[in-house]
Amino acid sequence: MKLQHYLGGLENLGPVNLDKRVFFADWEKRIFGIHTVMMAESAHLNKALPQYPINSLPTSFKETWTWASLRTGAEDMHPFEYFKFRYYERWLMGISQFFIDRGYVAAEELDKLTQHYRANPTEPLPNKPNPQLKEQVVRYLEHGDSSLRALAKPARFKEGDTVYVADPEAADHSRLPGFLRNKKGVVKEVYPAAFEYFVSTGPDGLEGPQHVYCIAFDAADIWGKEKSEPNTVIYADLFDAYIKPAH
Amino acid sequence: MTSLFHYDDDREANSAAKVRALEALLIKKGVLGNDSVDAVLNHFETVAGPFNGARIVARAWMDPEYKRRLLEDTPKAIKELNFPVGMDGAEGEHMKAVANSESVHHLVICTLCSCYPWPVLGLPPYWYKDPVFRSRGVREPRAVLSEFGVSVSTDKEVKVWDSSAQIRWFVIPERPANTEHLNEEQLAALVTPEAMMGVALVSANS
Repeated sequence: MKLQHYLGGLENLGPVNLDKRVFFADWEKRIFGIHTVMMAESAHLNKALPQYPINSLPTSFKETWTWASLRTGAEDMHPFEYFKFRYYERWLMGISQFFIDRGYVAAEELDKLTQHYRANPTEPLPNKPNPQLKEQVVRYLEHGDSSLRALAKPARFKEGDTVYVADPEAADHSRLPGFLRNKKGVVKEVYPAAFEYFVSTGPDGLEGPQHVYCIAFDAADIWGKEKSEPNTVIYADLFDAYIKPAH
Repeated sequence: MTSLFHYDDDREANSAAKVRALEALLIKKGVLGNDSVDAVLNHFETVAGPFNGARIVARAWMDPEYKRRLLEDTPKAIKELNFPVGMDGAEGEHMKAVANSESVHHLVICTLCSCYPWPVLGLPPYWYKDPVFRSRGVREPRAVLSEFGVSVSTDKEVKVWDSSAQIRWFVIPERPANTEHLNEEQLAALVTPEAMMGVALVSANS
């Protein structure tokens, strides 16, 4: 069981952070940018709905890198570390380790060059533009990577159905918020067609195209009357694998 | 939270040097060009950002028929406004708008990560990504809203939208009073990212 899957509802955390900045520090922009370029040149985009020239892109990056990769890494962290480090600090840790694990960068050379930039913070980056990759980055941001897929099988549930959330086996990565497991809800909307998540989550249940439902939960049915606020409804978009019939 | 953990004094300087070293090595090894990251950042300054969402909200305030179409088919209604290409691009492939009213207040959250409608709102502010908001927002939304300075009584229904699948949600806030004399551009200038996630109201003097 991972705390990261069960954040919703956790108590005793104190006041919310009201900081409206997107980036705390300028360096955070760079790791956000690196991640987004990785998504834009990810090998999996050769099957994306928009036609991307992934196979002919002049890049040495031959990996699949999606939100699922970043999220799986964040869910793999020590839960205290997850709280200790800011959002983009976690990204920097996860993405650096990915490039080390995949053999693109050696840990020693990264350490050595980090020390070098500590001593020479204004030294510029190597001057090596890549116009075709730049075009692909813009194309990806403009056209995205829709997960919408056709599915001949009809949806198992319809608007107004009372359903329960499933309680699948724990996995490394999940799109099921833990606080909803085993809870009762009502189908508010069945989204047209189906959606395919980036990866299979194994026993957790995401695999291939699935219908997605918007499910409405009465807050009291989730937290109990004492621990919830009245007149409150929580909506969650849930993949078909996460839903089971009321009977 | 900060006092619970020990941080090195050179926390930021180290991260800054590390990310620069990583970017430099990736450029050297052909994973990135030195113009790749800048292309991403440029997109969020010029094409995708809360300035788009603010225009959509202002149009919805001016034109009830537009608002109706926006709530019914969000991507289609956004297309009417002649934005640059990209409004159904990355993290905006499937967006839906909900509207605050006298009887309902909406709050958008992502308890598992930080799903956010990039094309119309840009990148999420820190509070949205912070684990404390994500933990508390689904259980005690009114308490959280009051910390943001928004008071919502229990007579008003609160709807919380947890974005854990493919839909990216945003809120059409209520139009503030005494804004009848403002044009669309002036109205748009009042709309903040926080208002479009439901943690702020729009005021005529903001």
